Amino acid sequence: MTDKLLEIKDLYVTYETDDAKVYAVNGLDLTVNKGETLGLVGETGAGKTTTALSIMKLLPDRVSKINNGQILLGDIDLIKVKETDMRLIRGERISMIFQDPMSSLNPTLTIGEQIEEVLELHEKDMSKEQRGRRVDEILKLVGLPADRKNDFPHQFSGGMKQRVVIAIALACEPELLLADEPTTALDVTIQAQVLQMMRELKDKLNTAMILITHDLGVVAQICDKVAIMYAGEIIEMGTLKNIYEGEKHHPYTIGLFGSIPDIHKATKRLNPIVGMMSDPTNLPEGCKFYDRCPKCIDICKTEKPINKGINDTHMIKCHLF
Amino acid sequence: MNVPLIRTNGLKKYFKTPMGELHAVDNVNISIQKGQTLGIVGESGCGKSTLGRLLLRLLDVTEGEVLYENENIIAYNKNKMMEMRKKMQMIFQDPYASLNPRMTLSEIILEPMKVCKTIQDKNEMFEKVYDLMKIVGLDERYVNTYPHELDGGRRQRIGIARALALDPQFIVCDEPVSALDISIQAQILNLLMDLQEERGLTYMFITHDLSVVKHISDEIAVMYLGQCVEKAPSEELFKNPMHPYTKALLDSIPLPKLGKENKLKEVIKGEVTSPINPKPGCRFAARCSRAMKICTQKDPKLKDYGNEHFVACYLCK
Repeated sequence: MTDKLLEIKDLYVTYETDDAKVYAVNGLDLTVNKGETLGLVGETGAGKTTTALSIMKLLPDRVSKINNGQILLGDIDLIKVKETDMRLIRGERISMIFQDPMSSLNPTLTIGEQIEEVLELHEKDMSKEQRGRRVDEILKLVGLPADRKNDFPHQFSGGMKQRVVIAIALACEPELLLADEPTTALDVTIQAQVLQMMRELKDKLNTAMILITHDLGVVAQICDKVAIMYAGEIIEMGTLKNIYEGEKHHPYTIGLFGSIPDIHKATKRLNPIVGMMSDPTNLPEGCKFYDRCPKCIDICKTEKPINKGINDTHMIKCHLF
Repeated sequence: MNVPLIRTNGLKKYFKTPMGELHAVDNVNISIQKGQTLGIVGESGCGKSTLGRLLLRLLDVTEGEVLYENENIIAYNKNKMMEMRKKMQMIFQDPYASLNPRMTLSEIILEPMKVCKTIQDKNEMFEKVYDLMKIVGLDERYVNTYPHELDGGRRQRIGIARALALDPQFIVCDEPVSALDISIQAQILNLLMDLQEERGLTYMFITHDLSVVKHISDEIAVMYLGQCVEKAPSEELFKNPMHPYTKALLDSIPLPKLGKENKLKEVIKGEVTSPINPKPGCRFAARCSRAMKICTQKDPKLKDYGNEHFVACYLCK
């Protein structure tokens, strides 16, 4: 029996702009169990980051609105939590790693100070010496020499900065880590180093993780479950085996895989999806993918598909099944 | 073998910095046959974009030659170079930064024709613009839109149309798909390959993405800190990588597959060393697990190991 850690039920998020209303997340359901890694895959504008920001309650106040749904962490509904209480959850129970390590560190503080800041806020009964020791420990954990804690971010390379960001996120050993494209800004050899480290840490600390990415290769390396997102909805979800080796797939998933050049086979042409993602201010009725779908039938244009279970772990949102 | 369309000879580019000389491109010799694609792969800072710019003389060469159909274009004067530019064009990495935000789509595509005075008649010019838009798959209704109104994929199509406006023979593609989503990336790659087939274009394709480079290239050159460390036909390089750096690069790619072959292999340690005043010897020696004494003393030279496979490494026999 696995324990549920985070459960999102029927989440709707919109952004209000001067011109139009942007439907960013439209009825999202998601469950993450303890110690599990979920890969959230989709293209730009699919609503991946909006989902993560909703969990962290870091959506911009004035323009965004959560219209419906629940985000349950254990038995607390995060949507109803007050900002002052949320501060205790953020960093201690859930933390987030952002895409760009260059802009997510404070350039005027040493990295040691930035890691210690988290401990000061959340571990109030730690003494200064204890905190210093903990900083050394965490730095070693992410593969940085402890004597570099007095250096400033600009003295580190991109890969090392991302290690610092991960160190900050893990300082309080959170139950859930949200990683938003953590390796996208890095070179491949450095990406491989960081991925290897993240996998080791995951096993060591038993942290659950939601890994947001557009790279299906990265997902195959590190995740247990995969959710494919399109226009604010999860259109297919399953275990790694279901998604990568299963027989039945959502047409969008097939298109995503068809777009990746295969390194072992010589292919003359790729088989991408035609067209672009629908405008999120003006989403089509029915299935949001129908105008790009090669297998579209009449019902797709008018009626929203619902989740269909292919087996216990695999679910597809499509009229074809 | 016939004369290559473009070839470099001992090409060097050093930048002066307060800390010393930065060796961005250090003695690179490449050649591309007409109608073929040479892929240049390497990590950030290895000098691949600098190499692309040197080939088009967008940067001044420190030393060496660029031979286009056996003529050294480095020696050309301004007027002659202007003529040359009609034959060689570039597609840039960032479709957000490489288009003038104050020009409409048609103005952007028209500009090369105006600058080079290839077409004088206004109607003819616009005909050409519509023609180009059709070729790259842009709908006619976009003709008066500004770049900010379009998404990344369409913007990159404008960049391609602009590069084609002068009917060039040779195009340097500097990471043309890195900023795009995977499904759009596949659309643009297909477009570039179709154009090559129809027009017999020659590409130099710069990228850090190995699966993309394998897909599009006939030949691949791997660069590390300004030097070409391995060069081979695409199939050969992936089947039989010889340089330790190439091997490490290939092992680092996360593949969208499950199973044993995809579990992480040995990851190379360390990071790229500084290109400023590099020490003699192999640039990769500091990260190489099999480095020997000689690797830190003398620069290894590119040597032919058969099958047009060139490697610069002392380990290869």
